[in-house]
This record gives sequence, structure tokens and C-alpha cells, in this order.
Amino acid sequence: MRATGRIRVAALLMALGAAAGSSRLALSSPRQDTMAVQLSPDDLQRGKQTFESTCSTCHGLDGGGAMGPNIQGIPFRLGVDAVTNVIKNGMAGGMPAFGSQLDAQQIRQVVGYLLTLSRKDEGKVTGDAASGKQVYASAGCASCHIISGEGGNIGPELTTVGQLRGPTYLRNTLLFPGTDLPQTRSFLESGGMLEFLFVHIVTKEGRAFEGTRVAEDSFHIVLEDAKGKFHSFRKDQLREYKKEPGKSMMPSVKGKLSDTQVNDLVAYLAGLKGAQ
Amino acid sequence: MRITKRALLLPALLASISPVAFAQNVPYERILHSQSEPQSWLTYSGSYFSQQYSSLKQVNRANVSNLKVAWMYQPSRPVANLESSPIVADGVMFITEPPSTVTALDVRSGLKIWSYTPNLPEHVVSIGLYATSRGVAILDDMVYIGTADAHLIALDAKTGAARWNVHVADNVMGYAMTGPPLALKDKIVVGIGGSEAAVRGFIDAYDAKTGKRLWRFWTTPRPGDPGAETWGNGAAQSAGATTWNNGSYDPDLNLIYWGTGNPAPDFNDDDRPGDNLYTCSLLAIDADTGTLKWHFQFSPHEDHDWDSDEPAVLFNTTIDGKPRKLVGFANRNGFYYVLDRVTGRFITGVPFVRQTWASGLDANGRPIKAPNQEPTLGAGTLVYPSITGGVDWTSPSYSPQTGLFYVSAHETGAYFIKGTGKIEPGPPKGIVGGGGIRALVGEQSYGAIRALDATTGKRKWEFRLLSPAWVPVLSTAGGLVFSGTDEGNFFALDAETGKLLWDIQMGHSARSNPISYEVDGKQYIFVTAGNTYIAFTLP
Repeated sequence: MRATGRIRVAALLMALGAAAGSSRLALSSPRQDTMAVQLSPDDLQRGKQTFESTCSTCHGLDGGGAMGPNIQGIPFRLGVDAVTNVIKNGMAGGMPAFGSQLDAQQIRQVVGYLLTLSRKDEGKVTGDAASGKQVYASAGCASCHIISGEGGNIGPELTTVGQLRGPTYLRNTLLFPGTDLPQTRSFLESGGMLEFLFVHIVTKEGRAFEGTRVAEDSFHIVLEDAKGKFHSFRKDQLREYKKEPGKSMMPSVKGKLSDTQVNDLVAYLAGLKGAQ
Repeated sequence: MRITKRALLLPALLASISPVAFAQNVPYERILHSQSEPQSWLTYSGSYFSQQYSSLKQVNRANVSNLKVAWMYQPSRPVANLESSPIVADGVMFITEPPSTVTALDVRSGLKIWSYTPNLPEHVVSIGLYATSRGVAILDDMVYIGTADAHLIALDAKTGAARWNVHVADNVMGYAMTGPPLALKDKIVVGIGGSEAAVRGFIDAYDAKTGKRLWRFWTTPRPGDPGAETWGNGAAQSAGATTWNNGSYDPDLNLIYWGTGNPAPDFNDDDRPGDNLYTCSLLAIDADTGTLKWHFQFSPHEDHDWDSDEPAVLFNTTIDGKPRKLVGFANRNGFYYVLDRVTGRFITGVPFVRQTWASGLDANGRPIKAPNQEPTLGAGTLVYPSITGGVDWTSPSYSPQTGLFYVSAHETGAYFIKGTGKIEPGPPKGIVGGGGIRALVGEQSYGAIRALDATTGKRKWEFRLLSPAWVPVLSTAGGLVFSGTDEGNFFALDAETGKLLWDIQMGHSARSNPISYEVDGKQYIFVTAGNTYIAFTLP
């Protein structure tokens, strides 16, 4: 059951490394990103201090994991309300309840700080978003990605990609997919592999498969191929299993789109922040 | 509610369990000779020697692939990870449910017989730890639990009624109990947690019948005490060396072996120059008097949070034709140690995972520290192993059948970062860590079950795991090693070769000691998966 759930979630996560993490924004309230905006720099600084004194032993100073799991970007994946609830009441898996130790404002500050941990929002928009929307349609991006309920489901959803990813990251990934994939520790216990790792597999019978890893344990590997089909293997039935960091299922737009088109497309994607 | 439920269940249970089996009397002599009743599991790690070994062999290399789920039990409300190692005696299993509930189950069916939940305060302080419980101890007709608010409670084994309840330490100051008590002779020995709240560790012994405290051994000194000179700025504020896991016991030597945790603050050592005794050490303590017989400090002046709280594995062997009484210890600092448990003398020590902080150990086992491996300001220092160590608290296993020591090893490093951290008087406001870590990313970490020659530490085989696992190990006379992965797998390996013989995806990782017991002529393998207890047996 759980594996199925994991695969379903992972199905949202495919191919476009640029949108790493953002794919799960569909699972959360589109208004949640406004929270960080409402918090002052002082609030975020206090959230950082509380995080470091209370949370970092288990989750690392950067939220990347230590004794406990990596939680970078978790408010985007689970939603601000859910994360607030977990901090307050704890959860199965070893997360203690902090409701009696931290007040509501402190928890808000911590969640606000968490929202900042997985962002790569550098860069300035130089293109035209309206033109970029045309580029998105004409270049066939929608055949793999969903925006506001429309599009194909091979790659991750982009409805709110602009919350986490800024122009510099988006441009780089459109031109060189796979070069800046998330390098998180696997978020195994809560399901889903977040690294968009490209894998190459050959079975003992000689059948070859390539795709993005969507689930793995010590004995099994599940990948999604270019057609969006899942393939599941026992590792002891494989002749070859190669991990290829840096590769991506997404084709580069280099040489296919002009600089202007790329800038416009970046402007369009950077502006996708969900319902306002 | 509890009584009604029990009343409903009792007739059915009595029909299937013999009156003798339901007597619930486990005197010291039974625990002492636990090897003569492998159908039971009478201590945290199966015996006073903490070997995590079962001499049952109905489940063996030839048939382990047929293991099937016999029953499951889930706590009635969601809890943190189950880390409780069950006690099994006379047809009844005693488990704990976080934070501090004790539950008795019928070992045949998994049905609940009774459950006891202490009245915890509304606000339980848990700093640097989570309020779990790693199990109970049993002695005579009582079971004993250390609670999240640092009480030791004795319960009637047959009914779950409280017999006595003593206040061990002040939870408001950060003291908490997660480890199982150790029952021996007429006393109950307990450790304490709370290093990250900068408490001062100790080991206590209580009269098993009355709860009266018999002795306390403080694990850090105060000015004038032995070891005070190892706290360079004075021992007035010495803190840490908590004792949050279980100890081992040699009845012939009458010595308790108990590991201690890190000094406080963890990563900022500015205020504690010196070796900081007795942090990150193994202590040998006289069971009757609570006096220290010897100590061995694995990591003098430790600043990476590498506790030494894993249960010490006692074993007897022959070296150069002479019978020897030894301790095997796979330390969080990445070295596997063999000590003489009579004298505490160092025999050998070798890395069992990649480590970068020491260029080796000297003739006395003291580490020769490598340069530039301390936590630093800013981006920090990359050090192997990580904060989770070569292995943390999860028990290793020793098989007298193979002479091998099995450990679930972590191959990973981390950037250790120094921050500010001062010990302030009064109740702690948060973790007194003085820094922290950033984990390595991507595919750079993995785990492995490693089989070491227990006497030399030389690796005989390994079985690779996708990620470092927090799962204890069990070995059996069936030639098997059981353990799990952090991805939710539970598996059996050939104890001689490490070959995979069976595995199952359980949906969540195991965190408790896998154990084995026998009832009605059937051997069971028992482990937790996330929020569930699972008993496996052959069809």
C-alpha cells in the first residue's frame, strides 16, 4: 500500500530537475507562500535561532538531516498547516511534540525559516511572461508538465514553480537539464526520492531500461521511463544497475529556442506562484 | 476499562496457557541462566552478556525463506517510533509504547492482557531526545520501566498494577529516561538521558522490592572528585556522560558495564579543556557498592556527539591458549574495540567504518587525533563518521557459534560546525549543543551489516544496504543474522557468509532489537516496523 502511495507521489516528481520540490506544491495550499512574505526578517532570524537550538540535532543546521531526516522544502511538500501541526503535536517516526515548548509565534517563525531553506530564487526576470506563455505552448512543454490542471504528466507539475525557483535556476535548467538537481539525502521514510536520479538498468535476461528513479530500497528499484511508465525490479535480478547523476530525462532547449524565447519562458515560469 | 478488558480476555488465555506458564515469576537465577531457556527473552539484549543471540535453531538457513507473519500488534494511538525490545517470559510478552506505557501481550496471539500508563505531567521536557522507551526489565513478579519524566516504576507483572514509583531525577532540568532498566540480584539499575540539556549523568541502583535507592555513581566529577582535573576550567559545571541505554553484567566478577555519552556542550569545547571524564567511556562498576572498578575512555575530549551508549557485548574466548573474558564494543567514533573486562585493559581497536578524526590508537587504546578534525565556525569541517557515528545505540550481535560480531554500520560523514553554547544555570531553554552538522548529500552515504572477528575486529564479510540503518541485529543458532534497513526492509543473512536468505518490505523501518522466542514448539522472530510489532514464524 505504502509503496503504491509513494509511486503515485513520485509520479508528480519526474524529469524536470529545475522544478525539484515544486512538483508537490499541488498537494498544498496555494496561499501558503504568502506566509514567509508576512514574516519580517527579524521573525525569520528568530525562526533560524529556534530551529538551530531546538531542531538541528535531528535535522541538521541546514535542515538536510542528521540524526533525523532531511526536511528541506517540507512545507512545500506537505503544506504549512500540516508542518505546523507536526511541530506542535509530533508524529509517528520519532518526531516529538513541541507544542508545550514553543508558542504559536515561534512555530510560525520556524516554518517561515523552513520555507527559505530549499529556495533557489536568485536572478532577475528580463523576458516577457506573456510571450513566454506562448513559447511554453509552442515548444511542447505542456506535453510533459501540468500547469493549473492542464498538460501531460511525465514531468513535475509547474503550477507554483516560481515559489521555489528563480530566473537563474530556471534558465540554467532549461539549457542544461540535470546539472543542478537537488542533492538532498533521500527522504526515505516519508516516501519519494527527491534527487531525480537518472538510472540505467540491464536485467539478467539482457533487457535494458533507463529513466528516473522514483523509489528504491536495499532490494528493489522502481524507475519511470521516458513514456511515463513505471518499471519495478528486484536488484538481485539485475545484471547492471548504474546511477548517473547529472543526467536528466528532460531535453535541453539549447539550440531549439532563441535567447529571447528562453528569457521569455523563464519570465513565465518564474511568475507561476499559484492562485493569488 | 483496563480491568474489564482483562476480565474478558482472561478465560480465553487461561484456556491456552498452562497455570505454570502464567505464574510470572522470574527470579534472578532464571536471568542468570537465561541460556538454558532460549524460549524466553529475559533481558534487553537476551542475556546479561548483551549478545543479542538466540540459541534457537528451528528457523535456520534451510527454511528461513518460508517465514510468515504470525500476528501483529499496534498501539491504540499513534506513537513515535517503537524502539522497545520485548521481554518474553512464561507465555507473556512485555513491551513499551512511547512515551512510557507498558503493555503485556499473549505471545501466541498478540492479544493485549493489560496496559499501564503512568500519569505524566502535561509538559514533559525532552531536549535532544524524543520521549521513547526501549523496554522494561523483569525480576521475580514485577516489571520495571523508566519513564519520560525520569521516574522508575515497578509494576505487578500479572496485572500491571503499580507497586512503587520513585522520582529518579528532575525532568524540568532535562533529565529523561528512555533506556530499559537492568535487573540483577535484588536490585534495579538504571541510566539517565539529557546530555543536550547539559545535565550531569549518573547510574543508579534501587532495591527491587521497595524502590529505595541503594547507590548512585555520578559519571562526571565535581571539584575534588577523581577526574575533576580532566575538566580544565574546573569541574563545577561538568555535564554530560549520560547513560541512556542498557548495561551488561558479569555475575562472576559482579561488575556492571555501562557506556556513557558525550560531554556538554557537544560541539563547542571552549569551556571544557581536558579529557572530560567519564564522558564517552565504558564504566565497570561494582554491582553491590556502585564503586568504579575501572573505566576506558574511547573518545577523550569528544566534540562530535559520539556517545558510547551502545550496550557492551561480553564474550569469552581464548587468546594465545589462555581463556579470556572480553568486551567487544563497536563505538560511535568508528572504531571497534576489544577490552579485557576484568581489568579494562585495551587489547585491540580497529576502524569498522571510514573515519578521519584519528590517525590510529596508541598501545593503550587512546586515539591519536588527526589535525583539523574539530568542528569549526562557518562552513564547518568534513569529518567521518557523521554525527550518527559508525553505529549509534542500535545493538550489535555476537554469535558464540561463529565467533563473529555483527554490526549495522553507517558509512557517512558530515560537516561539523561550531557555534555558541554556554551552560546556563536553571532549567534549559533548548539544546545546549554549541553547534551542529550539515549532512552529506546525495548518494554519498550507505549502510552495511558487517561481520567482524570479535577478537581481532578483522572484517569477515559485509552486506551492503542502500542507506545507513538504525536497526539492531540478532544472530541465532540457526546460522542466521537478522536486521533491517531504514527503507523498511527486514532480512535474514547467512551468519557465516553474509548471503541474503530472506527479506520482506514492512512499510517502515525497524527500530527495536529483533528478538527470538519459542512457544508451543514454534520459534518466533519478533521485530517492530514503524508503529507495529510483528511476529514471524514458519507455517
